[in-house]
Amino acid sequence: MHHVVGGFTLRSIIFLCLVSLLLVSCSPGKHSGNVASAEIRFWNGFTGPDGATMEKIVKQFERETGIRVKMQIIPWSTYYDKLVLSLAYGGAPDVFICHANRIAEFARYGVFRPLDDLIEADKGFTPSDFLPNIWKAGQYEGKQVGLPLDCHPQGLYYNLRLFREAGIVDAQGNPKPPATWEEFLDAARRLTKDKDGDGRPDQWGFAFTWLRTNWITFISQHGGSILSPDLKRATLAEPPAVRATQQMCDIISRYRVAPKPEGFDSWMGFRQGRVAMAIEGIYMLSSVEEQKGLEYAGAPVPSFGPRRAVWGGSHMLCTPKNLSPERAQLVWRFMRYLSDHSLDWAEGGQIPVRRSLLSQPRFRRMRVQYAFAQQLPYVVFEPASHKATEIMPFYDAAIEAALLGIKSPQDALNEAARRIQQVLDRP
Amino acid sequence: MGYLFIAPYVVLFVAFVLVPVVWGFFISLHNWHVLGEQKPFVGFANYRALLRDDLFGIALINTGYFALLTVLPGNAVSLLLALGLNARIRGEDVYKAIFYLPVILSVAVVAIIWRWMYSTEFGLLNYYLKALWHFLHLPDEFQPVPWLNSPQTAMPSLALMSIWWGAGGNMLIYLAGLRGIPEEYYEAARIDGAGTWGRFWHITLPLLKPSLLFCLVMSLIGSSQVFGQSYILTGGGPHYSTLTVVLYMYQTGFSLYRMGYACAVAYVMFVIVLGLTLLQFRLLSTRREE
Repeated sequence: MHHVVGGFTLRSIIFLCLVSLLLVSCSPGKHSGNVASAEIRFWNGFTGPDGATMEKIVKQFERETGIRVKMQIIPWSTYYDKLVLSLAYGGAPDVFICHANRIAEFARYGVFRPLDDLIEADKGFTPSDFLPNIWKAGQYEGKQVGLPLDCHPQGLYYNLRLFREAGIVDAQGNPKPPATWEEFLDAARRLTKDKDGDGRPDQWGFAFTWLRTNWITFISQHGGSILSPDLKRATLAEPPAVRATQQMCDIISRYRVAPKPEGFDSWMGFRQGRVAMAIEGIYMLSSVEEQKGLEYAGAPVPSFGPRRAVWGGSHMLCTPKNLSPERAQLVWRFMRYLSDHSLDWAEGGQIPVRRSLLSQPRFRRMRVQYAFAQQLPYVVFEPASHKATEIMPFYDAAIEAALLGIKSPQDALNEAARRIQQVLDRP
Repeated sequence: MGYLFIAPYVVLFVAFVLVPVVWGFFISLHNWHVLGEQKPFVGFANYRALLRDDLFGIALINTGYFALLTVLPGNAVSLLLALGLNARIRGEDVYKAIFYLPVILSVAVVAIIWRWMYSTEFGLLNYYLKALWHFLHLPDEFQPVPWLNSPQTAMPSLALMSIWWGAGGNMLIYLAGLRGIPEEYYEAARIDGAGTWGRFWHITLPLLKPSLLFCLVMSLIGSSQVFGQSYILTGGGPHYSTLTVVLYMYQTGFSLYRMGYACAVAYVMFVIVLGLTLLQFRLLSTRREE
């Protein structure tokens, strides 16, 4: 009996040891202090082919400088959870990507190390080379907290074969992408076909893909916005945005040239040639490139309203506060290198944001990137409010409700505006 | 020596249940953003804000609606399956395994399977409905059901999936309960001239009461914590129609990092589940007195 008990005791002691080991290993360590000084920890969410492109640039940096970079790719879906926890409780990387639309949210809590002194000390670096609207997206309260690596605006992807079949061509017989609302509607009508005669089109002229970003493009073109310029008032239920939302609804239910966005994978539809036009980000380029037999091209988004505007995002290179001065120098060297090589980065479906790179012949040869890049001067980001992430679900719900016909555009946007105003008014 | 035996459990319980529970209440009294250097004490302000938050109200109603759609119908399905299996048919174990199989799947797997079935354009359900429509020569063109894309059908769709997913679990409990009813009672009833319905109503159901109560209350508690279904399939949409309390808590805490408010939601939920659990104890203890 004693032996049995003794055996159990030994086992429970071992078990306890294992448990305590587990607990110890789970507690946050101070990674950043222990790593070799000449190693840079770099986090991003480039899980697609863009990750391979980034890997190549990083390897090249390591070869040229002898500085080791430990790159960690975390899927975007969990990226910010991990990043935020590391910034709050330790273990944050030295360099990380932050999307332009989340800069304010994090900068408000002072997690970034402003880059202004590093930029000023680097005589070979000229901020004026950057496009000013995108450069500014990396600022918070006058401080440069993010170095823009790229810009990824939307553009019009269109199917060349379907355009030729429908006879939408210019004088030379080349497919002609629409530039105005009238041209767009005319093309979409001619491209929407019911081939099997069952009363439901099986080829669509157009399809809404990512509703949120498509909607931001539409309302911005009509002069609408989500928030007032001072970021204190919800303006998405005002006439311009309502008009734009109505236009989107009309494309679906009045002109019937786009499917209702329910259970229809629009982007897959475009890839498979069942949708002739779609407005998507430049980052979708690799997904159409790998589609066999798809003849496509890219063009600027047509003018749906009186203003020129298109939604865009940007990857910002950021670094956490409390870096030692030597480490900050190292980090800056790496960031600067990535920016200098952002033309390599553009190959994977991005657009550089430096004039000196945009004007190079090599960039001109990246056909789709070059076409989309024409829109950079009037790219519209999500509002630079620290509550941008919090108000997003409300306009998402309103757009969905309007396009599915659950509510009228005015009602849906009124409700969203009311909820967003509540969030803005909360201290 | 006894303490050493219970130590592994106690350590885990304290570290992963007790401390978080108390800590969570503490957090709920603060304006607690994960990144905030100051986390100011605000008393019950988060709870007061919850009372005025109509999204929280919507989430509560949606959760109640889900419970309504799953608890009674789900248990009816489980009971029917158990009654069928209790007839001692051939290949009973095979059927048992088939009905129980979904229970061992995680909600993520179940949701991904059903996403394909529910797809408006390419889904299996609409495919069969269309075939049935043509088979019956119904007039008008068949309109596919937008299972997950309309506020009217989204929650019932999630409920249907959840019943499929969970029915096998309760079925086993009911089956055990049915097997525990002595055969003599049925024999006596049969001699007294009771029919099938009479035997079910006057013998099976009363003697199954403990299992019934247990399953109903556990289902009620489980359904009040519904999360994965709407998290994966609908994200709470369309138009907040599948936003449940736990999903709201998750979004507040882990996409917006507003932990104080999320903890307040969690605590209100805790009080509700506590109430349901007390109800369970009450119902089960009256049984013991009988």
